Amino acid sequence: MDVRAPKVPTLRERLAARAPVSEVLPGLRTDALLAEAADAPDVLPSVALRVRDVRTFVRALSVLDGRAETILLASPGTPLETVRAQAERAGCTHVFGPGADLETLAELRALGQPGAAPPTRWVLTTSGTTAEPKLVGHTLGSLTRTTTSDATRGRTATWGLLYEPTRYAGLQVVLQSLLGGSRLVAPDPGAPLHERVAVLAVRGCTHLSATPTLWRRLLMTARSEELPLRQITLGGEIADQTLLDRLTNAFPGARIAHIFASTEAGVGFSVTDGKAGFPAAFLEVPPAGIAIRVREGRLLVRNEAVAGAYLGEGTRFRDDEGFVDTGDAVELRGERVLFLGRASGVINVGGQKVHPERVEAVLVAHPGVAVAKVGQRRSPITGALVMAEVQPAPGTDPAALKRELRAHCAALLAPYERPASVKVTGRLATNGAGKIVRRGEAA
Amino acid sequence: MIRTTLTQVFAEVFEEHAGGEAPTLADASVLLETGLDSLGFAILVTRLEDELGYDPFTEAAEAVYPRTFGELVAFYERHAPAAA
Repeated sequence: MDVRAPKVPTLRERLAARAPVSEVLPGLRTDALLAEAADAPDVLPSVALRVRDVRTFVRALSVLDGRAETILLASPGTPLETVRAQAERAGCTHVFGPGADLETLAELRALGQPGAAPPTRWVLTTSGTTAEPKLVGHTLGSLTRTTTSDATRGRTATWGLLYEPTRYAGLQVVLQSLLGGSRLVAPDPGAPLHERVAVLAVRGCTHLSATPTLWRRLLMTARSEELPLRQITLGGEIADQTLLDRLTNAFPGARIAHIFASTEAGVGFSVTDGKAGFPAAFLEVPPAGIAIRVREGRLLVRNEAVAGAYLGEGTRFRDDEGFVDTGDAVELRGERVLFLGRASGVINVGGQKVHPERVEAVLVAHPGVAVAKVGQRRSPITGALVMAEVQPAPGTDPAALKRELRAHCAALLAPYERPASVKVTGRLATNGAGKIVRRGEAA
Repeated sequence: MIRTTLTQVFAEVFEEHAGGEAPTLADASVLLETGLDSLGFAILVTRLEDELGYDPFTEAAEAVYPRTFGELVAFYERHAPAAA
């Protein structure tokens, strides 16, 4: 299925419409960026971008959009071989980035040909951590549906980038700052947070987007209160009332928006009244031209601008009326719809998704474990933590088992997947099929 | 009392989560510069809730989170349930 928009203005055309000459990134001006981007053949090959440097990323996007049929935005942390496999699935012929097939824009331009410029499909990877990430096709239009291009206001804004720019949330920050006529400051992601905060403060960052877990860490970071913030955006996890109140107190002049978004659905909507969840009125009068529905305690959204299937597998995630099941469990309480977590039982630890089944499989792989059950516990710091209960195999010493499991999990699981605590118990309930009974799941 | 528990639990979580011997904590030690990341800090707060029976991070209304070890101790002391 293909829902490419017929003719969307390219990134170059939209960049040209912002203030004639302004700074895009420190030391990179619009005129230089556009001059470089204008100098290329009509048609360029489809490429996977695997770049860490934001400046190179922005330059490559400006050259490629409207010339390449597909741009795959690969995470720079993903091994090159994995990116190659993703590129092939997305129909890309080359990988661009340090150590890859194409290392410079000149090498990319040399592969160009004259012809009819295709509309460009932007392919993003979902943040699946354990499973193979899925590929989702967008257009510049669908990615910038909520981008504002009010240059008068945009000129006064300096966006800070704390997300990876190839991910949905990071790309939103990059595109908003580019097309809104603002400046972007991207501190070295490898630097400690207090140093990144210092860079943002020195550069006068006024607009900042981060996960609730990162905001809590920012509030614990010296001098974060010196950030001249006017806009605070939270996304990727549930924003609880305590955190919203703290941010209101710490940055009294800032507008606080918590956004709901999923890669599949395209951006959802934002809530700016400082309260957790969203007004129940959104179900009747949805914001910004999307539609929201609650069915069987799950949140569904509709955004026409996004393809309804994952690339290369044909798995449709859109129903007959065009709604996408976000997989988020919600509850109507009074005039508010509140987020409860993932309906699938997936645990969100500081923005990282943990599949309890995978952790259980690792635990039962230890010879001292007969049955394992993994659940979550609320955390005021990371939203949730992974907790495990295990029933030991006969003749196993519980204290020794706990120690061994810690080492066992450290070897096989990412830090956020490892149970924060393991309880050794007598007997765990199993259903008829011998499977663990998890909360909220029919036995 | 609270200070002793905090010091002990911190050392425990540090060894398990960050690995190696925990640094000696002074009142001015900056929590996020001790080598414990957000996840480690989340585990610390959870472990302390089990140990002390309360979680000031969820209960407290203050805007600012404690940044140093001294502030963390004071934060827990301030929110300790009144002794029965």
